[in-house]
Amino acid sequence: MSTFGALNTAYRGLTAAQQGMNVAGQNIANAATEGYTRQRVEQSSLAAPARGLFSGGALQPGQGVSVDAIARLGNSFLDGSVRSAGAQAGYAGVRSSALQGIEGVLQEPGENGISAALQGFWSAWQAAANQPSEDGPKGLLLNAANSVTDKISSAYQALDSQWSRTRAQASDSVDAVNAAAAQVASYNTTIRSTLAAGGSANELIDARARLTDKIASLAGGTVREQPDGTVDVLVGGNALVTGGSVRTLALSGSSSDRMGSPLQLEWTDRSGVAVPVDGGEIAGALSVLAPASGGSGGAIAEAAESYNKFASALAAAVNPIHATGVTGSGASGVDFFTFSATGPAALGISGPANIANIALKGSTGGNLDTSIADKISQLGTGAGSPDKIWSGIVTGIGVQSRGAQQHESLTAAAQAAALSDRASQASVSLDEENVNLLTNQHAYQAAARVMTAVDEALDILINRTGLVGR
Amino acid sequence: MLNRVTNLTMSANAQRTLQTQQSRLAELQEKATTLNKISRPSDDPAATAQALDTRARLAANAQYGRNIDDGNTWLTAVDSALEQATNVMHRIKDLTVQAGNGSLPQSGKDAIAAELESLKTDLASIANTQHLGRNIFAGTSDAAGAFAPGTPRDPSIPGDTGTPPTFNGVVNSSVERRISATQTVRVDADGAAIFGSGAGSVFDVVSQVAADLRTGKDISPRLASVDTAFKNIVDGRAEVGTRQAQLDRASSVNTELEATLDAQKTGIEKADLGSVIMDLKLQETNYQVALAATAKVLQPTLMDFLR
Repeated sequence: MSTFGALNTAYRGLTAAQQGMNVAGQNIANAATEGYTRQRVEQSSLAAPARGLFSGGALQPGQGVSVDAIARLGNSFLDGSVRSAGAQAGYAGVRSSALQGIEGVLQEPGENGISAALQGFWSAWQAAANQPSEDGPKGLLLNAANSVTDKISSAYQALDSQWSRTRAQASDSVDAVNAAAAQVASYNTTIRSTLAAGGSANELIDARARLTDKIASLAGGTVREQPDGTVDVLVGGNALVTGGSVRTLALSGSSSDRMGSPLQLEWTDRSGVAVPVDGGEIAGALSVLAPASGGSGGAIAEAAESYNKFASALAAAVNPIHATGVTGSGASGVDFFTFSATGPAALGISGPANIANIALKGSTGGNLDTSIADKISQLGTGAGSPDKIWSGIVTGIGVQSRGAQQHESLTAAAQAAALSDRASQASVSLDEENVNLLTNQHAYQAAARVMTAVDEALDILINRTGLVGR
Repeated sequence: MLNRVTNLTMSANAQRTLQTQQSRLAELQEKATTLNKISRPSDDPAATAQALDTRARLAANAQYGRNIDDGNTWLTAVDSALEQATNVMHRIKDLTVQAGNGSLPQSGKDAIAAELESLKTDLASIANTQHLGRNIFAGTSDAAGAFAPGTPRDPSIPGDTGTPPTFNGVVNSSVERRISATQTVRVDADGAAIFGSGAGSVFDVVSQVAADLRTGKDISPRLASVDTAFKNIVDGRAEVGTRQAQLDRASSVNTELEATLDAQKTGIEKADLGSVIMDLKLQETNYQVALAATAKVLQPTLMDFLR
């Protein structure tokens, strides 16, 4: 070992300790930064030079320490579980809030629901039957019928606008995914060149991980890490981001589509082919936006369809009996509820235009006969009555919404667990950093002491040797 | 993997715990202020179906109650009309028996005949009694009167009876009130059965008696038909009485059912105040404990102990 080798060793120690303090400082500074992953100095001891032909007989110590890298203590497995939990939570969250919206439209059980209006309707028939010669009770009956039809159609409209709102949200989410994907691609190129130049891209990787988390919570998908430091993001099995290149997603149809029109997620460059999204808010939105198909379609359209069915069932129960009666104007065979020729039943249903079109009396009996009114008033009690149908609809939506809420709280808990697992691995512990800081501080002081000791030894060697007897 | 605990995980945990506790507190607070167990169907879908059913039955029951009240006013009107008719018939029968006394001079018989004629007019007006603008003896007819007036007798011919009033209502029709899902009650009375129509009606019988009196005939054969007419009216009144009793029973059943359904509805939809308050208090304590624990845990770091 050369005379000054020890000085160099001490110098290496000084710089390593300094680097350690720098990294601890960076960690402490970012203790509260979201998505920051803690870093460590990776160092290794330098071995002694190999013994050569002319090296002396004395053993030599190692040559100090080398700073190899600043490592990012992330865990791709934990990152992956955060993304998949985020995708599930996003999916369940959108579904749950959509179903709660549908449930809010019901306004049941309460004074403002359809069931209360229906009760009022049946009672109004009896009240009209009690005073067949008076116009007042018939007017009230007309009101009660309008109240039922108004509630059906306004609920349908509320669902229609909920559909449009949800579609707009889904479209915003798709835009957000595209923006995030573009950013991921640009981070990819920067990271690749930084790493190729031997630099540290830890903070860039953190920022990119935040974006891939966001993409996962919006559109599900998987992230594949590449050896060159870039990541590929796959949605529905196809690449959204590969290295520096990016593809874009879009919703089919136009933003002015109404409830019932088919909707799917597509690649912009391959329109007409659906992207099978397996999780995330977009998948949740698509699942509630699907058109109705016999009970297994999208929740919003199915709910709207059940309003249609209810409107038809109500008319199918009342009209045949009403048609056998004779109206105030003497006509028979008149329907009580009529539908407009176009549009859904729930929007088109309406009661009679005026009280002369109400039939209280049967075809036999006196002018003040009320047998038809009595029969209609009892429609609410049977097994297949509109009341029972409605109660079935309410219960069905309630069960669905309850299931979605439970799923949401389950996935939210899973997401919280995944996040806290990752945080426990990646987040900064102030105690730990303080200890690191202290260790490095002491190492620095000690290395400085080594340098002083070597310096003094050299001083003695150079300035004090050979002075004996002078 | 062993969980490494850092300041971030601790504060995130604390936040989550506090959030959970607080949302539970808010939920219980809402429950305590509204006392509603079900505010949306998803709170309890099965109970929602029951609640809807109970509300429907309550509403139907309330309407049956109103029908019963309305039916009662009808039957009362019918009963009081028939009571008047009975009184009039008593007088008619008394007069008929009195006129059967052979020692009565013709002037006396004429006087009795005149009174009988006026009693007949009373009967006719009773038979046309209206309740709330409707004839109570005409079934489902909307004719002006239950009985069409006959032609008056010719005063110059003592033996003339004129023609008696005829039933103008709808035969075999009735006014019904629904008192339960399965039952209706007739609330009018059959004018044709009680008073008869045209020839043979109570009006005809009285006219015949009066005509016989005026012409000096023996009226004892007529007594039987007067009795029959009287009996018809009394029978009609008795029937009204039984139906009134039926309505009274239905009314008390209705009231009881309303109380039962109300209790059911409260049981399904309303929370028990005591248990909600207990839960709320407990949750308040839980929340305070969580706050205190969080404050203790989040404070210290190594910095506090380094010089």
